[in-house]
Amino acid sequence: MRRATALLGLLAALPFAAPASAQETDTPPKVALPPAEGEFRPGLGVETSHELGDPLGLPLSGEELDRAVAEVAADIRCPKCQALSIADSGAASAQAMRAEARSLLSQGYTREQVVGYFEQRYGEFVLLEPRARGLNLIVWAAPAAIVLVGGLLVALRLRQRRRSADEGLDTYLRQVEQETAT
Amino acid sequence: MNRRVLLVGLGISLPLLAFLGFAFRHDPQIVESPLVGKPAPSFRLADLDGNIVDLAELRGQPVIVNFWATYCVPCLYEHPLLMEGARRWQGEIHFLGVIFQDDPDLIAQFNADYGRWGPSLIDEGGRVAIAYGVYGPPETFFIDRDGVIVDKAIGAVSPDQLLDVANRMLAQPATATG
Repeated sequence: MRRATALLGLLAALPFAAPASAQETDTPPKVALPPAEGEFRPGLGVETSHELGDPLGLPLSGEELDRAVAEVAADIRCPKCQALSIADSGAASAQAMRAEARSLLSQGYTREQVVGYFEQRYGEFVLLEPRARGLNLIVWAAPAAIVLVGGLLVALRLRQRRRSADEGLDTYLRQVEQETAT
Repeated sequence: MNRRVLLVGLGISLPLLAFLGFAFRHDPQIVESPLVGKPAPSFRLADLDGNIVDLAELRGQPVIVNFWATYCVPCLYEHPLLMEGARRWQGEIHFLGVIFQDDPDLIAQFNADYGRWGPSLIDEGGRVAIAYGVYGPPETFFIDRDGVIVDKAIGAVSPDQLLDVANRMLAQPATATG
């Protein structure tokens, strides 16, 4: 009973939802873009080392860092897009994730650690290429299996057709022999 | 009809139908968070007035972290519900809003117009949103007294879920934390 009363109280709040003027915001929102590398305010945000542990690689910089960021970004799905990597997307989320990858790689986290970090947060869905394990194996094995089964079916059908063609010819020849003999 | 053709047809179509039946029972937009059941990523963020909120300092009390923005319509729908929740559990549950890719000035204006249910925290670079694996606003994380994410809402949180999870978190005995 108390639960029902409380639920009714919360539901009663709903009619006041979404003031019309707020819903009619048709101007694009001003989005705070991620700061450039190294410009995060110290002491604020997430303590990534607490989440990721110690870096297992060497801090990267310059072209090597650019290359590593591009490699990681090509493997990570943009959460706001349809089948686009964060390397290919201009969405603010993709920019933020690229900036995060750059920040982590420049601190010495390896590519695997950075990809693993995104996977830990967003789930395996964030990987553009699913890992070849468990049910995912269906995705990897299905095309090969379909080609194999299809090829077998075609081969069987051809063999069957050839055999019936041969049988037909034999019958015809036998018939010709019989008729010419008489 | 050739019996073999029928069998082959059934052999192909039945697994396909079973797969489709399984797939259509799940909303493809909803991706389960791997963070549920795990410790909530700790963060320190400033609110619109410059006050610092440190999640770790709130340990011992349940926390509801909501990622939102003024351009997100479901966020507007859940706003009164969160207002009511924050009023109902004042002093028992902390309600924290994390701004998701929005202009702090617009957030301040929204709060002035429609009221605020908790501090609106500025997530520079969206790093906290990444740490929480947020796909898009609104997403709500329910963090228990031990700092563990016990549930998550994708889209506007429902009154039922808010009530259920809040009661569950409040029923959890307070443990000594270090």
